[in-house]
Amino acid sequence: MMNGGVSRLAHEDDSDDEVLATTLVEAMQEDEGDYDDVSVSGGIQVTGDDLQARLAAAATPLEFQAGLPARFQSYDNYCSLFHFILNSDGPVDLELPTYYWAWDVIDEFIYQFNSFCTYRQRVAKKAQNEEEIQILRENPQTWGCYSVLNVLYSLIQRSHMNEQLAAIKAGQDPNEVAGEYGSRPLYRMLGYFSIIGLLRVHCLLGDFTLALKTLDDIELNKKAVFAKVMAAHFTTYYYVGFSYMMLRRYADAIRTFSHILVYVSRTKNFQKNSQFDSITKKNDQMYALMAICVALCPVRLDDTIHATLREKYGDQFTRMQRGGPESLPIFEELFLSACPKFISPIPPDFDNPENNVDPSQHHLKVFMNDVNNTISTPVLKSYLKLYTTMDINKLAKFVETDAETLRKQLIVYKQKNRQLRWTEGSLLEGELMHTSDLDFALQGDIVHVSEAKVGRRLVDWYLRNLQRAY
Amino acid sequence: MTTRPMPADSRPEHIDAILAGLDRYNPETVSTFQDYVQYQCENRTYDALANLALLKLGVVKDEHSSQRFLLPERGSNAPQHEANTTVFLNLTTRIAIAFSFPVVMVYQFNPHLTKEETITNILVKALTIFPSPDFSLCLHLLPPNILDAATATDALSDAVRKLTTLNELIESGSYREFWVAYESDDLYADLVADCAGFEDTMRDAIALQISMIAREVSKELAQGWLNVSAEDLPEVITRLGWTIEGDKVKLPINKENEAKTTVFRENVQFNQFHNVIRRGFEQAV
Repeated sequence: MMNGGVSRLAHEDDSDDEVLATTLVEAMQEDEGDYDDVSVSGGIQVTGDDLQARLAAAATPLEFQAGLPARFQSYDNYCSLFHFILNSDGPVDLELPTYYWAWDVIDEFIYQFNSFCTYRQRVAKKAQNEEEIQILRENPQTWGCYSVLNVLYSLIQRSHMNEQLAAIKAGQDPNEVAGEYGSRPLYRMLGYFSIIGLLRVHCLLGDFTLALKTLDDIELNKKAVFAKVMAAHFTTYYYVGFSYMMLRRYADAIRTFSHILVYVSRTKNFQKNSQFDSITKKNDQMYALMAICVALCPVRLDDTIHATLREKYGDQFTRMQRGGPESLPIFEELFLSACPKFISPIPPDFDNPENNVDPSQHHLKVFMNDVNNTISTPVLKSYLKLYTTMDINKLAKFVETDAETLRKQLIVYKQKNRQLRWTEGSLLEGELMHTSDLDFALQGDIVHVSEAKVGRRLVDWYLRNLQRAY
Repeated sequence: MTTRPMPADSRPEHIDAILAGLDRYNPETVSTFQDYVQYQCENRTYDALANLALLKLGVVKDEHSSQRFLLPERGSNAPQHEANTTVFLNLTTRIAIAFSFPVVMVYQFNPHLTKEETITNILVKALTIFPSPDFSLCLHLLPPNILDAATATDALSDAVRKLTTLNELIESGSYREFWVAYESDDLYADLVADCAGFEDTMRDAIALQISMIAREVSKELAQGWLNVSAEDLPEVITRLGWTIEGDKVKLPINKENEAKTTVFRENVQFNQFHNVIRRGFEQAV
């Protein structure tokens, strides 16, 4: 039930304040570390230690305007680094530049992969730069999806990360299953963040089911390891929420986004630093996705979230909630501004530039099918709320349609009103629950409307007064 | 609403093993998956995770497929590879492969290499379990231009678009229009030919949806939704456990169509009174 969801949400947010505090302290320490990092990579090889410089370089963002040679070079660097880490004789004994280095490397690795694919797609679509096309055509494996997946899976496998997490879950000592590699911080951290990386890559490729399945062994809460690195925390929730949205589990998507957005809004005063700036954009994107989800599946939101949502997307939100065909462009606009930069799994077709459809457009199209269907339900609900029984023809007049169309809308309403909702276990699991307290049944042409109400809560009141009586 | 007619525990063991491990990327499992889709078609079962995995997976006959690499811990049960081709991260070819299987490409990456019937069969199976989003989830894995009639002109894309039309109708509750569209084109009959009892499955699935929204519908409506003639209607209605009264079809009351207003009462736990009761004892002492 809706109310159950709200109360669980509230509970989640109120707990773990202590953890929140520790994370904050760490976040600030990280911040200091950040500047060190910059100075290291700025003055090339200050330490004279080649390996340390390479480690630092791997975590350093590639320039946005970087051309092909730089991207190829960077790929080679990653290859040799991962080769060194994975395929030396036995585990490599490395001192990490910073303890959140592992996240930065995985993050940057996937980011560069993503931006390379976008770049390649654009070159193919424009079909102007013959030289670049030739290079890309000859090197289909560079930044190939398979290579990237391979690196991530290998890191996970090497570190026995899934086994370790399963052991932690079962209350056993992860060191017993960690093996030679997994007991070292380098492999442990790389393995762990590779799981988050996989979530992201699967999502970018459009496999939302597998994306969520990847997190089977990770428990999503503030105590999770990823929560210690703000960017990782944030990224995880963004992709989990997005995957839920694409699985049409809007209630779960809203819960996921709310969780992290509340967290950010509470901690933003402590996080005035570069790390925080980089997540501001994702923050806005999540509000946009949240607006879409709430328009499709109205639930009560946390007050702060609701206020910020109105502030950022008030106009669009109202128009989406109103529904109807004129709201569709808004859904499209928000979706495109907030979705991840999807990757086309196939190398582009250089011979037929027009064949290279932007993958975002494809995913948008599929997603909009469902929006198209669902869009009538908010209006319908607002009328159903007013009556207990009603003739279908009369209701049809209210919603400005005919009885036949209305019946279809009612069928859709009923279906959309039942959603899988996560309660426990892995992220893909869930129980069928009603998302709205309004339900109905047709008897011939009569619509019977029912409502699930929550009765008065007396026990608290009774207990409080009893206390006072002593 | 989402239905999972194939709970994970009824999945054959060998499929489960593939899905759980890295073999889900191993091209040698393609035929196993394809057989499994065939099995689902013949036996009217459905397994979303396995089918999605197949859509991702395919075999590549590309020039790099001889480049292999063995990871020690997986070496024992992996296929034996020629030792001299074990080149990891050869910088001239820029391949980063660390698995114990050949350089494969996910099916997503090589649309032309997997059997087309398997793809359409998977989509047809996904149709039968509406209103769960599986059909859309499959579409997300297909090449980005597949829905674009202007550029994707091959037979597979055409078939996928045809099925997408059906899916849109069924998802929007346009059951009568679904049947009209289905019967309007012979291509559909070809597409669903492998999937045993497609029409009956769809009819039953639609009937389930009707039973969720209605206690009583007109005969005419039921006929259109279920796509049965006036003569056949009584038989179908009886099979579904419904009854005909005059020109109405009555459906038995169930949890979904009773639409009863309920009031959630507070659930009082004994623990809540813990303090009160302890207090009572303390004072007595």
